[in-house]
Amino acid sequence: MDFRRLALSLIMLPLLGGGLASVLEAGNSGGESENSNYRASGDRFRYPARDYSEQSGGTPGGTLKVSVASDTGNLDLHSISHTNAEWLGRILYDNLVYLDEQGEISPWLAKSWTVSPDGKTYTFHLLDDVTFSDGSKFNAKAVLVNLEHMRDPATKSPLAAAYIDPYVDGKVVDEYTVQLNLREAYTPFLNVLAQSWLAMESPKAIREKPKELGEAPVGSGPFVVESYTRQQGIKFVRRKDYNWSPAIIKHSGPAYLNRIEIQFVPEATVRYASLTSGQFDFTIDAPPQSIAAMRSDQTLVVDRRIRQGNPFRGIIFNTSKPPFDEVTVRRAVAAAIDREGIAQLAGFGELEPKADFLAANTRFYDPAFQNVLRYDVAEANRLLDQAGWTQKDGAGFRSKGGERLSAEMLVLQTVSTSAVPAAIQSDLKKIGFELKLVQIPLAQYADRRAANNYQAIGGGVWHTNTPDGLYIVYDSNEITSNRRIGQNISRLQDSVLDDLLQRARQSNDPKDLADLYSKVQKRLTEVVPAVPLYDNYSIVGYKSYVKGIIFDTSHNTPIFTTAWLSQGKRL
Amino acid sequence: MMLWRRIFLRIGAGIGALWGAATLTFIAINLTGGDTALAILGGPDALPTEQVLHRVRSEYGLDKPLVEQYARYLWQLVQGDLGESYTLRITVIKAIGQQLAATTQLSLCGTALALAVSIPCAVLTAKRKAWIVSLASGLELVLSSTPSFVLGTLLLLVFSFQLHILPATGTEEWQSLVLPALTLGLPVSALLGQVLRRELDDILEQPFIVMARARGMSDAGVRLGRALGHAMIPLVTMSGFLFASFVGLAVVVETLFARQGVGRLLVDATTNKDVPLVLGITLLCAAIYVSVSLVVDLLYLIIDPRVRAS
Repeated sequence: MDFRRLALSLIMLPLLGGGLASVLEAGNSGGESENSNYRASGDRFRYPARDYSEQSGGTPGGTLKVSVASDTGNLDLHSISHTNAEWLGRILYDNLVYLDEQGEISPWLAKSWTVSPDGKTYTFHLLDDVTFSDGSKFNAKAVLVNLEHMRDPATKSPLAAAYIDPYVDGKVVDEYTVQLNLREAYTPFLNVLAQSWLAMESPKAIREKPKELGEAPVGSGPFVVESYTRQQGIKFVRRKDYNWSPAIIKHSGPAYLNRIEIQFVPEATVRYASLTSGQFDFTIDAPPQSIAAMRSDQTLVVDRRIRQGNPFRGIIFNTSKPPFDEVTVRRAVAAAIDREGIAQLAGFGELEPKADFLAANTRFYDPAFQNVLRYDVAEANRLLDQAGWTQKDGAGFRSKGGERLSAEMLVLQTVSTSAVPAAIQSDLKKIGFELKLVQIPLAQYADRRAANNYQAIGGGVWHTNTPDGLYIVYDSNEITSNRRIGQNISRLQDSVLDDLLQRARQSNDPKDLADLYSKVQKRLTEVVPAVPLYDNYSIVGYKSYVKGIIFDTSHNTPIFTTAWLSQGKRL
Repeated sequence: MMLWRRIFLRIGAGIGALWGAATLTFIAINLTGGDTALAILGGPDALPTEQVLHRVRSEYGLDKPLVEQYARYLWQLVQGDLGESYTLRITVIKAIGQQLAATTQLSLCGTALALAVSIPCAVLTAKRKAWIVSLASGLELVLSSTPSFVLGTLLLLVFSFQLHILPATGTEEWQSLVLPALTLGLPVSALLGQVLRRELDDILEQPFIVMARARGMSDAGVRLGRALGHAMIPLVTMSGFLFASFVGLAVVVETLFARQGVGRLLVDATTNKDVPLVLGITLLCAAIYVSVSLVVDLLYLIIDPRVRAS
C-alpha cells in the first residue's frame, strides 16, 4: 500500500532534522577560558579564597531548580566515570579528605592522618559522629567496605578502582581509626580520596542492596535522594542533622536549601532560555555560545573556572607510529596550529590560548614554558624541511621518497560536533601536511585505541585535582596493556619523563615536587606528545537571587551546601 | 471463524517480524565493530583495569562466540528476559518501563491532536474555492516540511520564553505536555489533512454524492455523513503507522523538551553500545508496529464492507 511507504518516508524527515539540530550546537564541546591574567608569569593562577568558603550566613528554606545537560544513569559514583559525579558527589556524599584553596590536603570525615616514612601506610583518625542517611554509622569498617567496593570487579568501576590501584589492604585499628596499606608510595592517594568518585557510601547499603545503589544511593552528605527518574531528573531533600561539612568551606550545620530539583535538559539553547525565563534558578552546564548574552543580563550571574589537571589538547599524537614517531614532525605540527584562530572560532571570542601541558590553576603549574610551542609557521616549515619532507606533490602536500606527508586523526562522534579538528586540518594544510579526519562512534574508537590502531586522536582532556594527572596521561606505565586500559594515548615512552613522574608520585616534599613537576612540564614541551590548545572550563549560570554559591576545591564545580535564596524566592 | 483465522495468521506473522527485528539488530550491532566491553568501560574518561574488563566480558557473555551469544539471547528472549542494561545496571524491562508511560502519553496526545486538527480541516476545505484549498494545502505543506526541531524551537520561543504560558521542559505536569504534543502532532496533522482532502476531493465527485445532493441532502450532511466514512481507509492506515513511528519521532521531541522517554533512552543506548537496551527498544518498536498493523487490519473490517465480504 503506497500510504505506508509515503508515511514511512515522511517520518524520516524530522529525524534528519534532529541530526541538523545537533550540528547547530557546534562548538559546545570545547569549553572556554576566563579573560584573566594568569599569563602573568611567576606563579600559577589562583582564584580568590572567598570562592571556596562561605562568606556570610544564609537564610534556610526554598527549592533550587537546576538544569544540567546529561544524566549519569547511575548514582553509585564508584561505578561511573561521568563528569557529573563531581558536583553530585558533593550533594549526596562526603569524602575522607578535602583540598584547601592551595590544593593541600585538609580534613573532612578524617580529622587527621599520618603517613609512614616509606609512604606505604596511611592511618586515618575519623570523625566519630557521622551517620549515613540510612542510620548506619561511619567508622573504620565503613572506610574498608568502601575501598573494597570500589575495586570489586562486580562494581565495574571505570575510574575509582584505577585511582586506588596501589591499595593492598586495610585494618580496623579501633572503631574510628583505620590503617590502609599500599603496595608502593603513592602521594596522590590523598588527592584522589578527595574526589567525588571515591566518596563514602553507606556500608549497610553496599552490603545489603548492592543492586540498588545506582538508583537509591545512600550517603552521608547534606542532601538525600527523594526520587531519581532517569532521563528526567533527581530530587534531593535536605538532611536536617547534617553537621560535618569540610572545615575549609566554613559552614556548620545542615544546608540552607530545603530541596534541590535537578532536570536533565540536553539542548543548550533550551538550558539558556529556560534559565532566563525563570523556569530554572541555576544551570550547571551553561552553553558557551550564550555566555555573552548571559553577561549582559542583569538578573543572571555567570561563573567560569578552569578545570584542574590537563588542558584541552587539540591533537594527541601516537608517538609509536609514523609520521608522529618523529619528534621533529610533532614539533612542526605544534608550531603550525594557530591557537588564537582556533580560540576565536571555538570560543565565541572569549577563549584564551594555551601552549603548555598543565591547567593553569593546578598545583605546581609552572608558567615558564608557555611560549616554547608558540605558533610559528616559518619554524614549522623549517622543521619539516629538516625532517626531510622537502618535495611537494601535485596536490601541494609535502612528500619524501614519493610518499605524502599524511596522517589520520580519529575524532569521537558526539552529539555536538566541534569545529576544532577541521581548523587543525586547515592549519596543517598550510605547511603541506595532509591530516585526514576520521569520525567514529565510541565502540570503534575505544577498540582502535586499545589495539594501537591510530596515528593521532583529536581532542582530549583529563581533569584531576593533582599534577599527577600528567602521570596518568604521559607515563609509560599508563600505556594500554594487558593490565588495564590506560590514558597514555600518545603511547609516549620517555625514560626522562617516567623517572620524573614516578619520583613525584613518591615525594612528599613541596619543594621537591615543585622542582620535579617543573622539569616534567619542561620535558613535555620538548617531547611534544600532544598539542595543548586551551584550558577547559566549567561554566555555570544562575539567577542573581541565588546566593552563597561556592566552588569545590577539587573539581571547581559548584557546592550547594552553602547556597540559599534571597527573600521572596523561598516558597 | 474467518476473523479468528485472520487474527492468528497476523499474530504468527507478527512474531516472525519480531524475531527478524531482533536478529537484524543483533547482527547490525555486532557488525559495526568495536569491543563492547571497551565501549562500556573504555570511554575517553575511563581507566578500567583488566579484572573489571574480564568481569564485564564474562558476566555479559561477551567472551563467547557470536553464535552462542545469539542463541543465548534468543533463549532468554523466549523466557521473556531482555537482559540487563550495560550502562544503567538495571534490567532492560525496568529501564524501558520507567520511560514507556511518558512516550505513550506523548504519542497518544500527538495522534489525538493530529486527528482533531486534520479531520475538520480537510472536511471543511475539500472541494472549496481555489484560494481556500490553496491556503489550506499551502499551510499543510509548510507544516509537514518543517523539521520538528525547528517547529519545536519556534513554539518554545513564543509560548515559553516570550509569553511564559507553558513550561519549556519537564514531564510531570500536564502543561509540559502541550508543546511536545503540538510539535509531534502538527506536522502529522498536516500530512493526514492533505491525504484526507485529496481522498475527499475524489469522493465528492462520485455519482452517489451527486445523487445525495440531488435528493436535497445538506452540504454538511454530505461531507460528514457520506464522504468522510469513505475517506477513512487511508486515514486509518496512515494514522496507525504514524502512531507506531512516534518512538522515532520522540527522539527529537524528547531531547528538545527535555522530556523523559524511550526516544532519549534509545539515543543514549545507541551511543554507548548498550546492546541489550538497543535490542529491547527495537523489539518494542517492532511490537508496536505489529500490533498497530493488526489493529488497523481489524479496523478495515469495520470501516470497509468490501473487506468483510471477502
